[in-house]
Amino acid sequence: MLKQQQNEPVLEVRNLQTHFFTDEGVSKAVNGVDFVLHKGETLGLVGESGSGKSITSLSILQLIASPPGRIVGGEVLFKGKDLVKATDKDMRAIRGNQISVIFQEPMTSLNPVYTVGEQIAEVLRLHQNLGRKEAWAKAVDMLRLVGIPSPEKRAKQEPFQLSGGMRQRVMIAIAMACNPEVLIADEPTTALDVTIQAQILELMKELQQQLGMSIMIITHDLGVVSETCDRVAVMYAGKIVEQLSADQLFTDAKHPYTQGLINSLPRLDQEQEELQAIQGHVPSPYQMPAGCAFAPRCPHAGDICHTAMPELLQHDTDHEVRCWIYTPEWQGNDSTMMKAGNAS
Amino acid sequence: MTKNALVEVQHLKQYFPIKGGIWERTVNHVKAVDDVSFTIYEGETLSIVGESGCGKSTTGRAILRLDEPTAGEIRFQDLDILKLNKHDLRMLRKDMQVIFQDPFASLNPRQTVRQILNEALTIQQVVPKEQRSARIEELLAHVGLRPDHADRYPHEFSGGQRQRIGIARTLAVNPKLIVCDEAVSALDVSIQAQVLNLLKKLQAQYKLTYLFISHDLGVVRHISDRVMVMYLGKIVEIGDKKSLFENPQHPYTKALLSAIPRPEQKDKRERIILKGDIPSPIDPPEGCRFSTRCPFVTEACKQADPALRAISEDHQVACHLVNI
Repeated sequence: MLKQQQNEPVLEVRNLQTHFFTDEGVSKAVNGVDFVLHKGETLGLVGESGSGKSITSLSILQLIASPPGRIVGGEVLFKGKDLVKATDKDMRAIRGNQISVIFQEPMTSLNPVYTVGEQIAEVLRLHQNLGRKEAWAKAVDMLRLVGIPSPEKRAKQEPFQLSGGMRQRVMIAIAMACNPEVLIADEPTTALDVTIQAQILELMKELQQQLGMSIMIITHDLGVVSETCDRVAVMYAGKIVEQLSADQLFTDAKHPYTQGLINSLPRLDQEQEELQAIQGHVPSPYQMPAGCAFAPRCPHAGDICHTAMPELLQHDTDHEVRCWIYTPEWQGNDSTMMKAGNAS
Repeated sequence: MTKNALVEVQHLKQYFPIKGGIWERTVNHVKAVDDVSFTIYEGETLSIVGESGCGKSTTGRAILRLDEPTAGEIRFQDLDILKLNKHDLRMLRKDMQVIFQDPFASLNPRQTVRQILNEALTIQQVVPKEQRSARIEELLAHVGLRPDHADRYPHEFSGGQRQRIGIARTLAVNPKLIVCDEAVSALDVSIQAQVLNLLKKLQAQYKLTYLFISHDLGVVRHISDRVMVMYLGKIVEIGDKKSLFENPQHPYTKALLSAIPRPEQKDKRERIILKGDIPSPIDPPEGCRFSTRCPFVTEACKQADPALRAISEDHQVACHLVNI
C-alpha cells in the first residue's frame, strides 16, 4: 500500500462500490475505491463534478439515500470495524462523535431557527451526555476555539446573523465538539472568499495539530490540496486514478488526467498564451466507456485503453497510478508521455 | 497604439434602499458601489476582482443598465447610457452583451438551442430572416458545438457546453462589449480552460472588448490586460496586469494575492492572513474602508478616505501609505 507510515490506519476503504438505481439505468457513481487514512494525516480527495468524491464521503458515513442509492460492495473499516455492516444505532453513535463532517454550504447545513450555541450544545448533549448548562458552556468554548470574537454573544445568535466565514467556523465547531478521530471536510472553503478561505484552512491546520485528528478534504481545488494535504488521491469517473504525496502532485504527476488537470489551471506565476485544456467532457455515469474511463479524452490513449480498465498499481514509493502506460502490457506508439512525465 | 475609450464610467454610485417598519420607509442604504470612475478601452479585457459584496457585479450590471444607478455617468462611445429611453437602450443592447455565471439558470429550459439563438437574432434584427438558419450554424461552429446540437434542449448539455450556448447567444448580435460575470466560475477546471481559450480566440477574431468580473485571480491573470481591485464599493487599485500582479501596492491587493493557495511556491512566501470579515456595506467604516482589516493601519487612515493616485502611467492606487 501507499506510504508505510509509522502511524496506524484509522480509516480504510476497500473496493467501495456505491451505485444508484434509477429509471435511466444504473449509475456507478463510486466503482471500486480504495484508500487508507492514517492517524494524524490529511488526505485530499480531488476530482471534478461527477467523479464520485462526495458520494465516497457520504458512503463512509452511511448517508447514501436509499433508494435510489446502495453500497453494493466493499468495506469501510473504521478502527477495524466495517461501517457498511453497522446498524443505524451504531452509526448514530459514530457520526458526529468519532467521524465528523463539514459540508460545503454553511447556510444550508445549519438549522435557521436555532441559535448556533444550541446547535453545538445539541451535539454535546447527544454524544457526551452533558447537561444543558455544561453543554452550553462547552459550546461557547468551542466557538472561542474556532476564533469567533465575543463567543458568549455569538452563541445566542441565529445563523442568518453570521457571515459566511463565521458560519463555516460554527460548522467546524460542531464537527470538532466531540473531538472526533476523523474529520471529513467536503469542499469546506468552496463557498468562501479567498481571504476567508485562508483563515479557515489555517484554522483547520491548527486544530489538527492541537487535537491530532485525521482529516479527509474533498475538493476540486488543487491549490487547496497542495497547501493543506499530506497525500492526494485523484478520482475520475468513480475510481481513483492516482495516489501520491501532495509535494509530488505538481512536479511528478503521472496519470494523463492528473497532468491535464494541472495544465488546465491558469498560473499566477507565469504567462500562458493558451491553457492546455482537457478535450471533451466527463462521460455520463450511465454510459461509461469500455476500458479506461479517461481514454476518450486522453491524448495518449492506445488500443488497450479502449478495451480494458487498468489496475491501480504501485509506481514508486508513495505513488500509485491507474494507467496502461506504466504497465508492461503497454505497446502504444506514444513514447512522449514517459518523457514528458513532469506535468509542469 | 492609441487607446480609444469604449466605456467611460464617472462617479458611479449604486445605493440600494433598505425598507423597514410598517410603512416600508427607506431606513438606510446598502452602498454597493460608491463613487467609482474608470475607463474600458476598445479591444481590451478589463477585469474586476474582489470578494463577495465588493460591488463588482453591481458595477457590471450598471454598465448594462440592468439596474438604475443612483448617480454618476456612463458613456458608451458617445452615448450617455443613463439618459437613453427604452427604445434606444434596446438598440444599444446589441452592442453590449452579458454572460452570466450559472449556465443552468440563464437558458430557457423549454427552448431548443435553435430557438434560443433565433430569439436573439429576431429581437435585434441583425440578420435577414432567410439567413438566420445559416447564421445559427455558423455561431455554433464558432463556439465549438456541432450543427445537430441546434435542436437539443439545454438539459441535454453539460455545464461547459451550456456556457458555450450562452456565449453563442451573446455573439449572435455582433456585440462590441461583453460583460462576463463570473462566466467560468461554475465550471470544472478542465472545462474552464476550454471556455477561457474560446473567449480569447473569439476576442481576437471579433475584436471584442471584455469586462471580466471574477473572484479567481488565476483566471484574471490569464485573461486580462488591465485589472481593477474593488473593496466595499470602492476601487482600491487599478492597473496594467503585469504591474499589478508583480508590484501590488495596496495592502488589500497584497493580501488577496497572498491568500490564494499557490501550488508552485508552497514554502517560500509570507502569507498575509487578514483578520475578520468584510464590514457591512450598509455602514462602511469611516475613512479608508479597508482600515478595519488593514495590518498597516494608521490614524490618518481612519480619518480620510484615500483618493486614487497614479503611481505610474497605468497604475493607480487608493492608499494613504503608498509614497508616490
